[in-house]
Amino acid sequence: MREKKEKLVVSFLTTTQAMAAEKYCQKNQIPGRIIPLPSEISAECGIAWCTEPEEEERIRQVINDGGIQAKGIHRVYLYQ
Amino acid sequence: MEKRVDAMGMTCPKPVILAKKEMDKSQPGDVVIVQVDNEVATENLRKLANSQEADYEMKKLGDKHYEVKITVKKEGTSQGEKEPEYISCVPQGQKNTVVVISSDKMGEGDPELGEILIKGFIYSLTQLEKLPDTVLFYNKGAFLTCEGSPVLEDLKTLEKEGTKICTCGTCLDFYKMKEKLAVGTIVNMYVIVETQSKADLIIKP
Repeated sequence: MREKKEKLVVSFLTTTQAMAAEKYCQKNQIPGRIIPLPSEISAECGIAWCTEPEEEERIRQVINDGGIQAKGIHRVYLYQ
Repeated sequence: MEKRVDAMGMTCPKPVILAKKEMDKSQPGDVVIVQVDNEVATENLRKLANSQEADYEMKKLGDKHYEVKITVKKEGTSQGEKEPEYISCVPQGQKNTVVVISSDKMGEGDPELGEILIKGFIYSLTQLEKLPDTVLFYNKGAFLTCEGSPVLEDLKTLEKEGTKICTCGTCLDFYKMKEKLAVGTIVNMYVIVETQSKADLIIKP
């Protein structure tokens, strides 16, 4: 039986921001992946970065340091 | 005003007909709460709510217990007990769904965007409540089931959950990638055609 798990989802203002974030995370070995923005979140851009909830602190740090630009950080239940 | 309809144990399309009866007697702002025991009924109630421009909310209360809350937005239009044509009594879960992917990009346009879109498309397949029965890959689509594909993990997830992942053998041969296939099986044109001819629903990105 498939189960939904809590994930950390980062939303963006533009597709360019999202694509830049993907490149940044891959380069800096931050786990995660691009997913279409889950319907329960509203943001300007339809793609998002999805990672594990444990990564929240690191992601916030990266956003604060200007490594990636984001609109918000959300927690959503998704199928694994 | 709040009205309750207990439609537990009732067979389709009874829950919708009862709910519609209550809605027809309602004023804007009234709430109709319907208890049902299956997902097909909730889906039909959602269609009913849509057709009446009403708000729809669904809560799963238990294994076979769903509560649907419909907030009426416009005055009821009495149309008697006729069964609305949008009602489907076949559970969605029994539909044979086939996804057909003929390219490693989604849509025409900027290739980088096309790649992001196809990644999102395949990921979204894994988020469907009812997963597709088969995903067919041919021509440039065959690249997605081979080593180096950005969607391998999602395809492996689908396969693990019982979705058949099928790639066109002629295509793998043509692109010299037979050894690189990393998920699912190789099929021929007969299987590609037969699978689609037996499908209830074909989805293309």
